Order: sequence, then structure tokens, then C-alpha cells
Amino acid sequence: MDKQKAWRRLEDTAQKDANLHLKGLLMQPGRFEQFSFRHDEILLDLSRQRLTSEVLDQLLSLAGSCHLDRWIDDLFSGAPVNQTERRPALHTALRYPPQHAFNLDGRDINSDVQSALSAMEVLVNQLHKQQWRGFSGEPIDTLVNIGVGGSDLGPMMVCHALEEFQPPRARAIQTHFISSMDGSQLSSLLQHLDPERTLFIVSSKSFTTADTLANAATARDWLKQASHMPEDLLLKRHFVGITACPDKAFEWGLAKENLLHFWDWVGGRYSLWSTIGFSIAVRIGMKGFRALLDGAWRMDEHFRHADWSQNLPVLLALTEIWNINFQHIHAHAILPYDGRLAHLPAYLEQLEMESNGKSVDRCGQPVSHRTCPVLWGEIGPNAQHAFYQLLHQGSEPVMCDFIVAASRYGKSSESLQSQHRLTLANCLAQARVLALGDDAIDQSSASPWQHYAGNQPSTLLLLDQLSPATLGALIALYEHKVFVQSVIWDINPFDQWGVELGKQMANTLLPHIGQAPSPGAFDKATDGLLAELYRVNQEETTP
Amino acid sequence: MNIAIWGDELAAWVATAELARTGNRVMVQSKEPGASSLKAEPGLMDAIQQGFADGAIIQVDAEDAYAASVHWLAMHPAHQASALELCSRIGRTAQGDIMVINQSNFGIGASDRLQAALPEPDRQAVICLPDTLQQGQALAQFARPTALLLGCEHDGARLALQALLRPFSSNLQQLQWMTRREAEFSKFAISGMLAMRLNYINELANLADRLGVDIEVVRQGMATDPRIGQHYLAPGCGFGGSHFTQYIEGLADVLSQTRHSTLLKTVLEENERQKELPFRKLWQHYQCDLSGKTVTLWGCAFKPGVASIDNAPALAVIRALEAQGVQIQVHDPEALPALKEALPDCASLKMFDHRYQALEDSDALLIMTEWPEYASPDYDQLLSLMRSPVVIDGRNLLEPEYLREKGFVYYGVGR
Repeated sequence: MDKQKAWRRLEDTAQKDANLHLKGLLMQPGRFEQFSFRHDEILLDLSRQRLTSEVLDQLLSLAGSCHLDRWIDDLFSGAPVNQTERRPALHTALRYPPQHAFNLDGRDINSDVQSALSAMEVLVNQLHKQQWRGFSGEPIDTLVNIGVGGSDLGPMMVCHALEEFQPPRARAIQTHFISSMDGSQLSSLLQHLDPERTLFIVSSKSFTTADTLANAATARDWLKQASHMPEDLLLKRHFVGITACPDKAFEWGLAKENLLHFWDWVGGRYSLWSTIGFSIAVRIGMKGFRALLDGAWRMDEHFRHADWSQNLPVLLALTEIWNINFQHIHAHAILPYDGRLAHLPAYLEQLEMESNGKSVDRCGQPVSHRTCPVLWGEIGPNAQHAFYQLLHQGSEPVMCDFIVAASRYGKSSESLQSQHRLTLANCLAQARVLALGDDAIDQSSASPWQHYAGNQPSTLLLLDQLSPATLGALIALYEHKVFVQSVIWDINPFDQWGVELGKQMANTLLPHIGQAPSPGAFDKATDGLLAELYRVNQEETTP
Repeated sequence: MNIAIWGDELAAWVATAELARTGNRVMVQSKEPGASSLKAEPGLMDAIQQGFADGAIIQVDAEDAYAASVHWLAMHPAHQASALELCSRIGRTAQGDIMVINQSNFGIGASDRLQAALPEPDRQAVICLPDTLQQGQALAQFARPTALLLGCEHDGARLALQALLRPFSSNLQQLQWMTRREAEFSKFAISGMLAMRLNYINELANLADRLGVDIEVVRQGMATDPRIGQHYLAPGCGFGGSHFTQYIEGLADVLSQTRHSTLLKTVLEENERQKELPFRKLWQHYQCDLSGKTVTLWGCAFKPGVASIDNAPALAVIRALEAQGVQIQVHDPEALPALKEALPDCASLKMFDHRYQALEDSDALLIMTEWPEYASPDYDQLLSLMRSPVVIDGRNLLEPEYLREKGFVYYGVGR
């Protein structure tokens, strides 16, 4: 079947079933068994989606008509699936088992990956043994990761999520994440740090990222002022660079032996599996880091080999395609019911919107359908006190991802365990009320303001428990979901041309900031603001 | 008296030797101490052998020991549970009056718990006799104490104890009776006070380093004040040993759990930092790059006169040097066997029986233990043996001005 035909058939079904309500679907016997799917320790529950078996079959045909099988092969074999930048997207190679070769253009890139991991392990061990020494000979006990985007969100999200998996030796080391260009995070942090014991990790794939290099320069100056030591010595003892462009990092002044490598075939937002995950490895140890990789690898194998009708990334992607393109839902809320996953929404915002926020297809033609929805999120129970009002009674249809661990606090106090039960109850309650509306409870109110329409679809991802392996699998699940959607939409999820123009424009504008205005240089609004900036700053400097 | 000794600590074996020497019949369960550092305690092995030869010390099974009338407990701090079990066993077995003398560091209140394990408190008494022995001079300290703190709450036992200790009272200036709990607390309080003094003088020494002041002069000035005195005021690269450290750790835990006080915890942390001080001075001297260097350590024992390296500053320094790829050459008159046992696989470590051999092609000499034989070496030989004449004196043993004049680069602690 060709894609257009499959697409039209889904449109017809959507029209025919336009009046289906989730409360009807959820009454069907076997609904949960039919629409929930398990891989290892992750349960994907799609039973609160507006799906029927007919719809699912048609979605699977749509995937077939888009040659998803061939695309998956291309992705995993290292074909240049990032065609606008003429390179493969091989984040899956980063989690390949150490003993297997991975050949790309006649080179075993897994041996490169493993040697980069070994180099990282040496540094991690030095830190854990408290034998990485600062300029005064004191051991380093504080790590500051300077990076932005993929060099920040992934490591920060995972470090936060897996804090309880710290081996004892890692507990002596504090980790901080600095990203903001304006220096506000860094300047307040530096006041609390001991320069003798602080190591900065400068993470930048290109090593040209303005935000990161500006922060790194501030950190370097702070150390110089505190120590009165020569710059090259400070850079050697207090800076590690993580980059795909080691020459650039070396030029900036970093010592060669302090550079950790990754490669241009790793996208920034797919890079936490590489040496970019250094801060993760310091936090949870190399053993934990390898467990994270292994969890992701097992999801890779599942995605690659499992039948699509049981394939978690494929099913999740197709369900959302149904919501976006046939149910016209263009907002997507990420709702972890777990404080440890506080940074997951921000991480997925980048992963999904930077990957699939595009409207030109692989042939350069405008797409004729919607692509990535607007994604946002928050820790679920907190969001209940913020934007759930809109989910329950707003005019905007929203699809939600609930993410929660079945068991937690195994050996902890009863009061913490009861907090977990309370959280689970809230998670299940919200999913139920969103789906059923008024019918969730027996009596409905006569008041029009207390009416709940329901029929908001949601996915529930139930992890047996949160661990390095399940988190690895969860992230890989989302990565592959994004890829499947890109195949259906025929867009390249691995480039990000949309972020380039703004950077260029900033470089053009920089010399004009704070200068006397030259009307006509830019558009009227920009000219006006430049004049205001000049005026305010003049007034402040003249007494 | 018939005395059963329980435990394999220094205090257990010193008590064995001394009690046997003064006419008691002492029952032990092994032929000699387990730890090599105890075997090296001056005079101890000879005294034990003598005791066996005289028949004053006999080796028995635990079953036979339960029936003794005096039980001397000097057990490892981790063995409190077995001590409690032991007491209830003794209590059930005993005929007539018995006395349990507890010298183990089980924390404050432990002797009361031992007493509670004895079923007949009228005839079965626990006495707390805090262990004040210092390694290296333990026999003499036991034989001629100047002061004794005795935690005893049983009048009958008090007399028996006085009789037992009578041979050791020739030098005694002060004997203080108190409750068991007070005796335990006093022991902790003394250890904590001493640790704080050491920590304080080290803090001052580190400051003196920055201010260009000689801490030795300041220290002598401080000692002229009778409220302060001169003891435990020698700055250096930290204290070690297991006994002293265990008491301070115990008190630090109690303080932080019951009072949220970090005072002694800080003392311990700062002491750990101080152990690496010689490393830091070396690191700074060589501009943060020690790879390929050869460094000599004189001394690895935690203090002179002992063969033990328990918590010794030298261990911290060796680990730091090893991590930087340094070849390490160590001399110690007594403690090399213990070092070999502790670090069997350290490839970058070489041990020397002769102190000058350890200096060949060395880029620095670190003095870690103030053994008397290090105090006045042949400086010309040092200069000719070493690749770079850098001396880092972690114990302020040498005369800085003289060394500098001889052409050494000298770093002390606070001078």
C-alpha cells in the first residue's frame, strides 16, 4: 500500500469514529491487555488512547508504507540518515556491547567508543579516589559542567534522576550544571566554591558554542584571580574538555591529556551516552554508566527486532501520529510522577522539538501535514496545582505522558513509602479523570463549571523501578519514537538548521549593543531597542 | 588471683604480661598476639614468654576461662556484642564473687550494659578501667601509672581491685573513683582534648606558613603560659594510630548524633587533610607535575618507637604519590614489614633497610616520622645522593636555616 492511501484510510476512520469517547473504549473487555505492552522493566500502557484495533492496524500499514523497516536498518547500520549534513546518526553505536565490532566505512568505531570510555574511566577513578589534584595539591571535590543544550540537559537530567545510585566513593564529589549565557548561574555559584578543589568540564561538540566558551572564560579568570598561578597550569589541573573538535579545544588552551572525545556522527541531543556523560559517570560510577548504556542497548535491540505490533517505540510513535495528524492534538504534556525525573520534561522538549520541529521534508518540499506538537511538562503532582486546570477544562486538546515507577523506597521509612502510594494514586486518578471526565465518579454535578468533558488521551509509562538500566531504556524509547515519527513525516530529525540564523544575527548585532544608534541599520523595532539600550546605559554611566 | 584475659588488643597482652609478673595466674586463649604491630611492642614478647615459662600464664580453652574470678576485657571496639554474650555466660557459670574489668572501647555506657548482662549484681561487678596505654611504652605505663581513673560502683569489688592494682601503685599520684559511665566519658574527653590541641597547633602552623612566622617560636611562647603547657603542641603532618583515633571517632559520632556538633568531626577531617600536607608542599614545589619523579620517605610508622602504620600519614602520602606516577623509596627502622603487608601490590614502592640507600637519585626527601636517627643526618651525603636537594620536614625535626645554608630547599610545617 502506498503512503497516501494509508493516510487517507486513517482519515476516513477518524471521521467515522469521530464520536468515539474514551469512556466507551475503557469499558471494552480486554482493553488493558490489548493495548498495554511490555519490554523488560517498562510497561507502555496505551489503553487510554483513542485507539481501536482497526486504527492500530491501519497505523502499522502506514508505517510499512513509509518503509520504516528500511529506515531502521539505515539508522542502525550507519547510513547517512542525517542527509542534510551528510552523516549517520549513530548514538546507538555508543551503547553497543564492548566486545562487538561496529564497522563504519571499514573502521571499527566501537573500538573508538570503548577507548573513549576507558579514557573517561581513568578520570572518573582519579576523582573517586580523590587523587585528581588542584593547583594547591588538594583533591578535587566539586565538578562544574559547563555546556548548553545537549551538553547540559541530558547529563543534568540523568545525574538528578539517579542520585540515589551514587557509589559511596562518589558522595564526596558535588556536581553543578552551568548553561546560561548571561553568566548569572556561574557568578552566583562561584561565590560558594573553593577554587583549589573545583574542576570545570567544558562540554561542547563544536567547541565554538558562544554560551559555553563565555562561561568557561569567566571560570578561568576566577581561578587566575584566586590562585595567582600561570594560566596553562590552571587549565591543566582544573579543566577537562569534552568535544568532537579537539583541535579547537586545544587552541582554546585545554591540555591534550584532559580532552575526552566524541564524534560528529553523534548528535548533540543524542550525546549523553558518549563522554558528554562524564558527569553522569562521576555521579553513578562507571558501573552505573554502563548499566545505563546497557538498558538503552536492550531497547535498541527491541526496537530493531521486535514485531511492530509489540514494539514500544513504534507503537508510541504511531499513537502520537494518530493524535497529531488524525485527532488534531497539537499539545503534548510530559508528566513524571517522580521528583527524580524533574528535568525529563526539559530534556524531551529538546529531543522532540529540536528533532521534529520542522516543516520541510527530506526532498526539500513543504510538508502537507502537522509535525512535532508543542511539548512541555513538569513533575505531575506539582503541575496538578498549575496547568492541569487547562488539561481538564480548557479548550485545547492535549495528549499526556504519565511516567511513574511502580516501586520505590523499598528499604526506607513507612512515611516515605506512603508518600509514594499517594503519588501513585494521584497519577492513576489524573489519567482516569482525563479519560472519563464526569463518569470517573458516580454523581455528576449540575453546575456547568464543575463539568469535566474527559476524552483527553494519555499514555502511561510504568517502570518497575527507576534504575540506571530502566532510565537508559526509557530515554532510548523516546529517541526511537522521535525517529519513527520523522520517518512517517519524511523529515530529517538529526539536523537543526532552525537554530542557526539566530546565532548569526546575534553576531551581527553584538557590535551595535551599547553604541550610538544608526537608524536604518536594522528593522524599525530593532533600531528602536538599540537606541533605548544606548540611552539607558548612558544615563547609568553619567552621574 | 585467677584472671582470664579476653581480647587481642594491646591492653589485653600488656595486662597479661604485667599481671603474670606480679604473682597472678593469668589465663589466655592464644600463645601470642595476632597483630604484628603488637608483637613489636618493646619488651612485650619477652615478658609473655617469661610468663609462660614461669607457669604464670597458661593457655586454656574458653570453657575453662569462664570460671575465673577476675575477667579482664580488652576487646576490639567492634566486638561489643560478643562481650555482652561473654558477660552473661560468665555470670551464669561463676561460683562466688566475680569482677569484670572492662578496658575495651565500646563507647559511653557500654560498661553499664555489661553490668546489666550479669545476673547477680550483688556478687558480680563490672569495673571500667579506661585504657591509657600508648604504643611503644605500654609496659612501663601499665606498671607505673601516675594516675588512674576507676569506674566502680561496687564496694566489695573496690577492695579487690585495690588489692589487684597494689603492685602498680608505686608511682601513683592520683587515683580517682567514679561511676563507670564517668570513667568512660573521661577517657573520651581526654582523647578529644588532645586531638583538638594537635589540630589547633596545626591550624596555626598552616597560618604561620602563609604569614612568614616560625611556628616553633610561637609554640614555645604559648608553652610559657601555665594554663597551656607544652604537651601535644608539636605541629606536624597529622596524628595516626588506631587506638587514639578510635576514641576520637567514637566521641565525634556521639557528639554529632546527640548534639549535632561537628567540632570533633572537623578535627578528624582536618587531620586527614594535614596528613597530605607534605604531598601538597611537594606538589607545589614541582609546579603540579610529579610524573617521573622519585621521592624518598623517611618513616612510615605513625609515630616513632612503634612498628605500626595504622592510620599513618605516610599511607596517605604514598597513595597520593602513587596516583601521580611517582617512584617511592621508603625507609623506616621498624615499620617496613607492616607497610609491605598493607600495600603488597604497590609497584611504584621500594623499601630500604638503610636510610641513605633510600635517597639515591631522589627528587625530594619527606620526613614523615620523627625517629631519632633522622634528626641529625650526614647532610653532605644527602646532597651527593639526591638528584634535587629538596627536604620536606613533616615533623619539624631539622634546623631550617642550617639546611638552607647547606644548599637544601627546605619546607617545614609552619616555618
